[in-house]
Amino acid sequence: MDEKLDKKVARRDFLKASALAGAVLLGPGIPFITRRASAKEGVVKYGTMHPLTGPYSALGADQVNATRLAVEEWNAKGGILGRKIEWVHRDDQLNGAVALRRAKELLEEEKCDFIGGTLSGAISLAINEFACKNKTPYLAYCMSDMVLGADQCKYGFAFMMIPYSAALATSKYAFEKLGKKWFAITADYRWGHSLLEGWMWQSQQMGAQFLGNVYAPLGTTDFSTYFTKIMAAKPEVLVMNNLGADQTAAIKQLSELGLTKQMKIVCTKTAMATIKEVGAAYDENVMGGMSFYWGLKDKYPASKKFIEAYMKKFGQPVEQDGETGYVATNVILMAMQKANTVTDKEKIVAAMEGLNYTLTKGPESVRACDHQRVQSYVLVKGKGTKAKGWDLADIVAEIPGESIIMSCADNAKKLPFANIKLPK
Amino acid sequence: MISDIPLNVILMQLFFGLALGSIFVIMASGLSIIYGLLDVVNFAHGAFAMLGAYVVFCAVSLSGNFAVGIVSAIVIVALIGALVEVVLLKPLYGKDPLLPLLLTFGLAVAIPDVIKIAFGLIGKAVAYPAAFSGATKVGPLILSNYRMFIIVFTLAVLISLWIFLKKSDLGMIIRAATQDSLMVQVLGINTSRIWTIGFALGVGLAALAGAIAVPMMSATPDMGVEMTMGAFVVTVVGGLGSLGGAIVGGLLIGVIVAFTALVAGEYSNVAMYFCMAVILLIRPRGLFGESGRE
Repeated sequence: MDEKLDKKVARRDFLKASALAGAVLLGPGIPFITRRASAKEGVVKYGTMHPLTGPYSALGADQVNATRLAVEEWNAKGGILGRKIEWVHRDDQLNGAVALRRAKELLEEEKCDFIGGTLSGAISLAINEFACKNKTPYLAYCMSDMVLGADQCKYGFAFMMIPYSAALATSKYAFEKLGKKWFAITADYRWGHSLLEGWMWQSQQMGAQFLGNVYAPLGTTDFSTYFTKIMAAKPEVLVMNNLGADQTAAIKQLSELGLTKQMKIVCTKTAMATIKEVGAAYDENVMGGMSFYWGLKDKYPASKKFIEAYMKKFGQPVEQDGETGYVATNVILMAMQKANTVTDKEKIVAAMEGLNYTLTKGPESVRACDHQRVQSYVLVKGKGTKAKGWDLADIVAEIPGESIIMSCADNAKKLPFANIKLPK
Repeated sequence: MISDIPLNVILMQLFFGLALGSIFVIMASGLSIIYGLLDVVNFAHGAFAMLGAYVVFCAVSLSGNFAVGIVSAIVIVALIGALVEVVLLKPLYGKDPLLPLLLTFGLAVAIPDVIKIAFGLIGKAVAYPAAFSGATKVGPLILSNYRMFIIVFTLAVLISLWIFLKKSDLGMIIRAATQDSLMVQVLGINTSRIWTIGFALGVGLAALAGAIAVPMMSATPDMGVEMTMGAFVVTVVGGLGSLGGAIVGGLLIGVIVAFTALVAGEYSNVAMYFCMAVILLIRPRGLFGESGRE
């Protein structure tokens, strides 16, 4: 009898304790159980972080898939310089503090030789700083300012666009073809602000007329409360400096009021996931930028080869975020091959600088001075009700990378954008 | 600052605020009924709203009719809610009050994951119902038809809910059970069933909120998180367990968010929490909260 009672209490205490533990763990997310690992002979180890939970989880999943594809392709060819590539990845939850912890785990526990990933400009800056201190190559998969000014680091490489490049590509097209009176909805964080700087500068250069901007907090679900201002301003071009669920909600609600018919909507960066989520309202009046769209397969043999390999493995086309990861992974392995070493980080970094390659689009390179991948930006417009399956958009232009990146000297000083005064 | 803004802009902003507030009201009413009746703080409220949005997506894809979508969302999610109450919540009554809270917290994490497995990570688009798409010019104002529908529809739902709770036998029993469930039991009424009905009604309302919100934002697995936060703020402002509080609190928060967006867009989210903090400081039980209740 007593024994039974004891057991019951103990079970209850256990339940409470485990419930509490569950709550504590779930707060910052369930960490992966880390295996005790050590630097193994005969292996090159790559560690990446992706936002697998939260608003960008669909894009994070693409990053994982594409990295996996690259690693498996190399391993199928026998690895790199006779060594197998071992790859581990973590969920950074789109949270800076979590991402830093994951980066630390990847270096200290998993003993990775180089790290990559992330899908937030702000997080990439933090990881870049961390990797720099640890003299470990870091390959950012997202748009990032880390190649500008004081954030430049010998070990940091950025494989998507600099945010201003995306803004320059879309704004030039918009001001030439769609109208010069513009208004912007900007996500209120670093990346959104950087895009707005690009638009403001281009606007000055091309004599466009800036009518106003609203900063919307990240995660805004109701944009209607901003529309009164926009309707009063009557812009020809309405710029979306946001992404994901925010962009989806904004475009859907603009269409609700018929505003997508009264002005052209230009998304500085958009995504296939967003076009799908918006549905029929993402029509020919809505335009967006992407660093990669699978429709490029009709233009470049390299795109076709890449898309076919990806579709075969994962059953759907890849987003720009995944494509970035594929290129980043390939480029560092190509650099190791070129440098003929997998251990000498200085030599690998030197081999990456100025590396020329053709992987997923036309010929590209990693610029030596600032470690930025110089690549084209694709502008697409929606197909509205004619969209079917993954045939979501028509390519309207491909802007060459060289035309949307500032000189080495300018990037080192964040010019000319450091002089732009953002609206309040 | 407001005085420089033309009257029509203020009226339009008020309109947008009331429409936004209407969704808050429906969410918070459900939360309030559940808390009032079962003393359960339903952390999974937004997850049920999200389920409502996905039911609408499925129903509209199959039938092409938005009304069918709304009705299916309420019915199906209410049934799921009843099942959850009977199978998962019921065994926890009378035990540590932390347990139901942890259960709903767990559901808030688990339900979106199930939806991710079933429907994928990319959200599902639901078009605006044809009857309410577009906008109507009313004098100097341009009013979205769909938002007018939301306001009128919410009003209709609240009136029906009020009549149900005040006039019907079942409604009276629910109110009595909210006051004193032991006494209701003594009178020979099966309170256990009343709890099930109350929970189903509450999450049914959440599903309704998700259903009417879905054309404006698309159904995504994580959409419930923001909705839960909004509902909690409204409930705290209006007073826990008070239906009138949910209504006044919801509309108040909607209008505050709308006017903050007009003058300082970047603070529109913060304004909601700021309002909650002020209310908590000057009237901790919320605008309509009963003083005895914590």
